[in-house]
Amino acid sequence: MSGKIYVDAAYKSVNKYTEELCGDRVEIVRNDDCCIVVLSDGLGSGVKANILSTLTSKIISTMMEQGSSIEDTVDTIVHTLPVCSVRNVAYSTFVILKIGYDGKTYLAEFDSPGCIFVRNGKLMPILYKTREIWGKTIKEARFDVEVGDTLTIMSDGVIYAGIGALLNLGWSFENVAEFMAKRSRTETTAARLAAALSETCCDLYMDKPGDDTTAASVKIIPYMPVCLFTGPPQNPEDDETAVCDFMKTEGVKVVAGGSTANIVSRILDVKIETNLDYIDYDVPPTAEMKGIDLVTEGVLTLKKTVDILKEYFNNPTERKNIDEMDKEHGAAKLAKILAEECTHVNLFVGKKINPAHQNPNMPIDLSIRMRVVDDLISVLKLGGKVINAKYY
Amino acid sequence: MELKVCVGSACHLKNSRVVIEEFKRLISENNLEGEITLMGSFCMGKCGEKGVSVMAGNEFYSVIPEETETFFNEKVRGRL
Repeated sequence: MSGKIYVDAAYKSVNKYTEELCGDRVEIVRNDDCCIVVLSDGLGSGVKANILSTLTSKIISTMMEQGSSIEDTVDTIVHTLPVCSVRNVAYSTFVILKIGYDGKTYLAEFDSPGCIFVRNGKLMPILYKTREIWGKTIKEARFDVEVGDTLTIMSDGVIYAGIGALLNLGWSFENVAEFMAKRSRTETTAARLAAALSETCCDLYMDKPGDDTTAASVKIIPYMPVCLFTGPPQNPEDDETAVCDFMKTEGVKVVAGGSTANIVSRILDVKIETNLDYIDYDVPPTAEMKGIDLVTEGVLTLKKTVDILKEYFNNPTERKNIDEMDKEHGAAKLAKILAEECTHVNLFVGKKINPAHQNPNMPIDLSIRMRVVDDLISVLKLGGKVINAKYY
Repeated sequence: MELKVCVGSACHLKNSRVVIEEFKRLISENNLEGEITLMGSFCMGKCGEKGVSVMAGNEFYSVIPEETETFFNEKVRGRL
């Protein structure tokens, strides 16, 4: 697994000014071998465009994920899309980006502005071949990606940003490409890249976009495992096994739980130094321990982490959600590690219930570690992480 | 002397933050920085007690946040 790459993908859509629905649609699907990102821009705007682009992106992503050829996929779209009564065509642009976890990448475009491929802060040329499928001219390219590469696809609202107002002819593909090349050096994740591009488009449109504007970014990242140990094992005899399993598994090490940290400290014979700074009143302080990358309190911190991650994964390009993870308290630090610096999560969960926490005078929050862990697992899956859980 | 305050889950909910802030204030007001080292600690295993777990030297105490000042004057300063 270690030699493999992984794909971080995110997108942001901004609706045309006054429109309630977006006519652009992005679908991101993953399976064991690859990640597929499909962006579609439906003809017109509003409801009609929304239906066209939703159908297009959904059909393509589902069929491609199941291994259909591009011919079959385009065939299905051509014969499925409803025909617009005004313009008498069934039309929706699309871009398909299929990235294998071995680096082999396939790109197919139909009437889209193009794809921006950046490596080491420099724009990379993409060599296209064109062919006709059911009367549509499809541009295709196959190339290899490496860790650190970024790819950005977009709807034409991006390259026309500012048209007729701030910029006579709009932003243009070349300028967008240059912007992305520059930003790829400073923005660390796909979500941050897509957010930066989308925010700049909004600025150029002076917050009144003349068209639906969508940017989807992909960043090729290495396999990044994280090991999270939380909760004391049910049977104290298993303490040592749990700590050993946790320590010998590859990855960034996180301990969430005071009693858990005490166990790790005892078995590894390392000191815990608790910080006394309260960055957030709701989140207990973190601690330092040699050999462990992050040590936090347990249930309360995990619960807050789940809240932060839920917001983030539901809308990773929303600035507010990104900023929340840049805070300094334990839950934000843990959320950032899990969201941005991790592809695979190995959970080591102790099932022991702290008898003192079952005191009826204590708030309900404390007695529910297992539920919080379940919530954490489902929210991480939502974020496209691969989860491995072991219970003790 | 070491003055350790528990910041584990249960003590956090019992407002260990207030106890720490009070200790910080009292130590600085009485110029005791040289004599008392204020530290945090994870669960001390006494979650069932009524107050926040505190270790003053080798002695265990359970401190109600509102009574931190009295505790400090009686128990902590008394031990110096």
